[in-house]
Amino acid sequence: MKKELSINHQKYKNLYYPPGGILLWIIIFLELITFGLALLAMAHSGKENPEVFHESRLLLNSTIGTVNTLFLIVSGFFMATSVWYLKQSNQKKSLLFLKLTMLGGFFFLVLKSIEYAHKIEMGYTIGYNTFFTYYWMLTLFHVIHVVVGLIILLLIHKGISKNTSTTIEDVEASAAFWHMCDLIWLLLFPILYLLF
Amino acid sequence: MKTIKIILAILIVLTCLAAYLSNMSGSHVIFGILAIAALKFIGISFFFMDVKNAHSFWKGSIIAFLVLFSITLLIIL
Repeated sequence: MKKELSINHQKYKNLYYPPGGILLWIIIFLELITFGLALLAMAHSGKENPEVFHESRLLLNSTIGTVNTLFLIVSGFFMATSVWYLKQSNQKKSLLFLKLTMLGGFFFLVLKSIEYAHKIEMGYTIGYNTFFTYYWMLTLFHVIHVVVGLIILLLIHKGISKNTSTTIEDVEASAAFWHMCDLIWLLLFPILYLLF
Repeated sequence: MKTIKIILAILIVLTCLAAYLSNMSGSHVIFGILAIAALKFIGISFFFMDVKNAHSFWKGSIIAFLVLFSITLLIIL
């Protein structure tokens, strides 16, 4: 089995075969650049209206943001563990960790929904001010990615458990997409919840 | 496997540290929060996504994105 893992690592050394596949990595970089540019635009707006952004940032619950970050990080760990077990040909444990990964994503969405409901109730909607326009657009766009990621993981879970033609490459690609959601959140969290 | 468990522990500690830092004031806090975010970004991409075993082009691209983003953000802020 160690030999199999070593073959995988050698495959990754090839420029055209990063873990998850080159097409997904092109998507990952496009997503990171898109979110990155939006966050830079937000930082620029924040520099022009520091008081508005500071007061608005204080209206966000940083504890919820921190807990949601932890949900995604732990979920990412479960995903990496699931891939590792699949490479060890331990399908049962791989499926267990895949379920835990999805549970982490589900908890993230539940907590985000509670936060959204509270913001709407207080009237801090998308048009409230510039800060909340960025907040809603960026976090909703991210939530869409998490939902798509969960659907992909659900399909992969079904594929592995029913022994269909799902390959390790498919699982690695879905894992890379899920980790991309982590990476995007790692950029959003400090700027939205902590910086201003 | 042991490595990613250690990385998970480090990521959790860094997340809590960033939340704690946000309650403090001063320009060094911004630098600290961004540095922590960058470390977490590297932790997930290199260890959870296995970029550490990928071609140096992909490692370099991740680092280049992170450096460019962080420097531009620091200039703006």
